[in-house]
Amino acid sequence: MAIRIQLDRLLVERRMSLTELADRVGVTVANLSILKTGKARAVRFTTLYALCRELECQPGDILTYEPGPPEPDLDDDET
Amino acid sequence: MPSDRSHPERSDRPTPGLAGIRALGRAIPFRISFKTPFKTLGPGSVSSLLKIALDVAYVLLMVITAVLLLVFLASIFVPIANLNITVSNDSGGRQQPLTRPLLLFGVGALTSYFGGFLLILRNLRMIFRTLTIGDPFQPDNVRRLRQVGLILAVVTGGVWLAQGVVAARLAPGVMERQGFGELLTPIFSVLVVFVLAEVFREGARLRRESELTI
Repeated sequence: MAIRIQLDRLLVERRMSLTELADRVGVTVANLSILKTGKARAVRFTTLYALCRELECQPGDILTYEPGPPEPDLDDDET
Repeated sequence: MPSDRSHPERSDRPTPGLAGIRALGRAIPFRISFKTPFKTLGPGSVSSLLKIALDVAYVLLMVITAVLLLVFLASIFVPIANLNITVSNDSGGRQQPLTRPLLLFGVGALTSYFGGFLLILRNLRMIFRTLTIGDPFQPDNVRRLRQVGLILAVVTGGVWLAQGVVAARLAPGVMERQGFGELLTPIFSVLVVFVLAEVFREGARLRRESELTI
């Protein structure tokens, strides 16, 4: 998708591990990993709020827009 | 917003016709809230009981289909001309000798009929397995329901055609030919199954959306 998640860079800058961030935010490491690898479909405002709070940043620091075609919908080939 | 049936509608001045219908609606409790008094999904629920019933029916149907298949194979080789068997309709009116084509067609059609329902039961068992786990909206259930609809269409359509062939060619007078009216209920059932498959597809899509929402 043309929306990228910049968790890697932010974690390195904050010297924080994914597990620690997952603990602080209150989501599982597996779910945070889905978010980090860009496989997530949507982000709840509550999760985004918690991420911004723990990483001390703005939503724009986590999410970035890259021009380009969106990834195809996964539903079509599933069923 | 909670519904309030004890008080009149708060909408602006209803027309006389509508007012009458609304008054009737208030008099007859259309919106009866009904909740099943038993657990319908998950372990130890009605679904698990139904799955056991389906398992039993599946085994029985498998045995019946296997026996019919053996009878079909036997009827190819067994000489029936010397047996002098006749077939007649229920009222015992017209009688006709049991010929090999009639026997093969009859047993073959019956085997296909039970074989078709065996496949339907197989899919239903798998669907009910997911209901017993408590996770009905799996993408596989969509495919299973579509298969059920397709097999149901083929089986019921096949029965209708087979009865037509028997009535017209193989044993005229013994069996009545079915009209198009007989097809209405199967068509309705097949369409309902296909619609249900689409409902499950939508459910599976929402489930996946929910899983990938962090």
